[in-house]
Amino acid sequence: MNDTILEVKDLSFRYRGAKRKAFQHISFDVRKGEFFCIVGANGSGKSTLCNALVGLIPFYFEGRMKGDVFINGKNTKESSIAELSSEIGLVFQNPFNQLSYTAGTVEEELAYGLGNKGIPREEMKKRVAKVAKMMRIDHIINKNPLELSGGQVQRVAFGSTFIMEPEILVLDECTTQLDPLGSEEIFDIVKDLNKNGITVIMVDHDMERVARCANRILVLEDGNQVAIDTPEKIFGNPDMVAHQIDVPDYVSICQELKNRGLFKGEVEVEEEPTIQAVKEALKV
Amino acid sequence: MAKTSNYVPQDSPLDRMDPRAKIYAIFCLGIAAIIFPYYQFSYLIVIGLFIAAGIAKLLKKFTKFMLAFAIPILIMLIFIQGFYSPKNVTIIADCGFAKLGLEGVEYALKIVGSLLVFLGSFYLMTTTTYTGRLVAALVDSGMNMKVGYLVLACLNVVPQMQRRMLIIQEAQAARGVDTQGTFFSRLKAYIPLLGPVVMSSFTDAQERGMTLETRGFGVKNVKPTTFVEAKKRTSDRVVQILLVVFLVATIAATVFLKFA
Amino acid sequence: MKIELKELRHVYPTGEEALKGISTVIEGTEPVAIIGQNGAGKTTLVKHFNGILRPSSGDVLLNGESIKTRSTAQWSKLVGYVFQNPDDQLFLDSVKREMEFGPRQVGMPEDKIAQRLKVISELCGLQDKLDMHPFDLTSTEKKFCTVASVVMMDPEVVIFDEPTCGQDVRGNERLSKIVQSLKDAGKLCITISHDMKFVVNNFERAIVLYKGKILLDGKMKDVFAQPDELSKTFVSPPPITRVAIGAELGETAFTIPEFMKAFDAKRGAAKHE
Repeated sequence: MNDTILEVKDLSFRYRGAKRKAFQHISFDVRKGEFFCIVGANGSGKSTLCNALVGLIPFYFEGRMKGDVFINGKNTKESSIAELSSEIGLVFQNPFNQLSYTAGTVEEELAYGLGNKGIPREEMKKRVAKVAKMMRIDHIINKNPLELSGGQVQRVAFGSTFIMEPEILVLDECTTQLDPLGSEEIFDIVKDLNKNGITVIMVDHDMERVARCANRILVLEDGNQVAIDTPEKIFGNPDMVAHQIDVPDYVSICQELKNRGLFKGEVEVEEEPTIQAVKEALKV
Repeated sequence: MAKTSNYVPQDSPLDRMDPRAKIYAIFCLGIAAIIFPYYQFSYLIVIGLFIAAGIAKLLKKFTKFMLAFAIPILIMLIFIQGFYSPKNVTIIADCGFAKLGLEGVEYALKIVGSLLVFLGSFYLMTTTTYTGRLVAALVDSGMNMKVGYLVLACLNVVPQMQRRMLIIQEAQAARGVDTQGTFFSRLKAYIPLLGPVVMSSFTDAQERGMTLETRGFGVKNVKPTTFVEAKKRTSDRVVQILLVVFLVATIAATVFLKFA
Repeated sequence: MKIELKELRHVYPTGEEALKGISTVIEGTEPVAIIGQNGAGKTTLVKHFNGILRPSSGDVLLNGESIKTRSTAQWSKLVGYVFQNPDDQLFLDSVKREMEFGPRQVGMPEDKIAQRLKVISELCGLQDKLDMHPFDLTSTEKKFCTVASVVMMDPEVVIFDEPTCGQDVRGNERLSKIVQSLKDAGKLCITISHDMKFVVNNFERAIVLYKGKILLDGKMKDVFAQPDELSKTFVSPPPITRVAIGAELGETAFTIPEFMKAFDAKRGAAKHE
């Protein structure tokens, strides 16, 4: 479990023409199979960092990058985004901007990336069927992607990324435009993938969800790395509020109980344990 | 729901035809119409296109498209060229304020004829060709992916922009912009809409570009494959050959007419 | 301000019946949240409040006058609508011009525009960005620029479509402040939101839509006291409320103080037994 799959070394980036750096001196490593979350206020550099992880920086966006990103020991500077796409995949916010606009049906959309890689048609069909089933879009496989709802398109986008069979998935607020049920369904899939060994790096605004899913959390503020630790340590630290981190309700409840001397140990970050803690405290 | 491309699925010979043959048709017919010296020739081709549209079961839509496009342009061009072309020698009518010249009118008819051939055949191609098949055909003929992508993305992005335009129009109405009323007030209302449409299409284009990159677009040293199979039947080959023969014959006839 | 909905139905040209007879009255300054799953008809419903959409049958009365009598642009004086995506709404080359545009459209006097510009740019945190191009604003600021441009018109009703979407902690705090100050100014705020934390802390009434009909309608606390009914729409109460329910505190708590009050009460009662 302890092998590093992604390593970021003293990474800084400034967009061309920008006054300040989007982020600076970021260093962390992600272990194989880990669920790693990045949090911070808007403009703290989260999305830019995601783009750097998948190689869009420095290849697609112009600017000055210092430091390195290694994926499976391979420096992203030395490989193209297209090559990296079978190791690391990105899903971002706007589902409609993640379509290739060259496909007439969902299955063609899913197959698009495979086509670029020259995968034979037979293999393509197998993988499309498998991914469609996994993303629960097999019933709309023959529909035009542009005629689907945002939630369905986001699933298609997810599927098109995942079909490349990357070992790492980077999710940049990928459910912001979905409703609660839609996002939960996507997260169930993400959690399943993670259980099956896929490494997940996620940016999200919903701190309850981050707290529940993450093995470790990286906190960014104005492009600086302020902390990197487990959810309990991050959210249990009262200083975090100053870094514009919204503390999950569960943590706040535990802290109130602690203040009354009714709760010992670290804070809880999930619903069930918090309910148990409150029930216990009622008995004291 | 949003209409995403011009394509209308129909069971017709034109629908079954390989997209490449249809691309041949656009170019062969269009070029023939331009080079042949008599304007009547391009209108014969246009009649041919109407027959093709009939075969494709699209006669009504096609007629509407051609009329909506042809009549306004024809009137405008005849007016400009007919009255004011320096080539005018033979006067066919005197309207008082200006004289209508035969040469100018013929010139206008020629331009409109050629345009109609190009646009008509292009329209027929897009309405009878399923996008997926077009991609497959282009990739199969070893066309540069970037060029192919540009063509397709343009076809698909237009309806997407129309959809956006509608949303933005609503947003503007909510800010007190009256989008109803006379032509002039509507035009005035449209101008502020252009800003957001253009701006957002820039950001959208950037994100779309990102998507393509992360999905292996332009990966080197790999022959791309497609989900949809590109199959050229014998009949498609025959059509293609006939089109080329037609073009060559037109060129020959033109040369003959010039020297005879 | 009074909005009356009378057996409002809306059928899209595709034949989809998005609203299947909605009747209720929204009145006064009590902020109202419209919640429900995607496709429940939330956006379709609020688009009838300023006439972007017209009823297929039934009617919407704004202060007694049918929505059908005027165009959206004419209603914009009375009803402001903040779209979800700022890129749909902004089109001028400075924040200041954006803010002045709407009021000029509805013929507000220049001195009033200047005076409102000062107050509202501060409320929306844009006082130092007035000369900036909206395109150069951060996503948070852009959103507030659209809010400001709508509030500037001084409408009686302000509709927000998913205001917290993509916002961070500070953005949410500012939104709360805006909703509060609009209420204090006698305005009616209506929001569509999936963000239950934001909804329960800033809105007093909830209308829950389900498949084009009203499922629940009432005080926020009463609505969230019915988790079973709510679960039909896949709306789940905010985490703190769920813990209060799970630990059987017997109160619908939306804030930490409320939660602890209920906790202490229950614990006290248990001690006395």
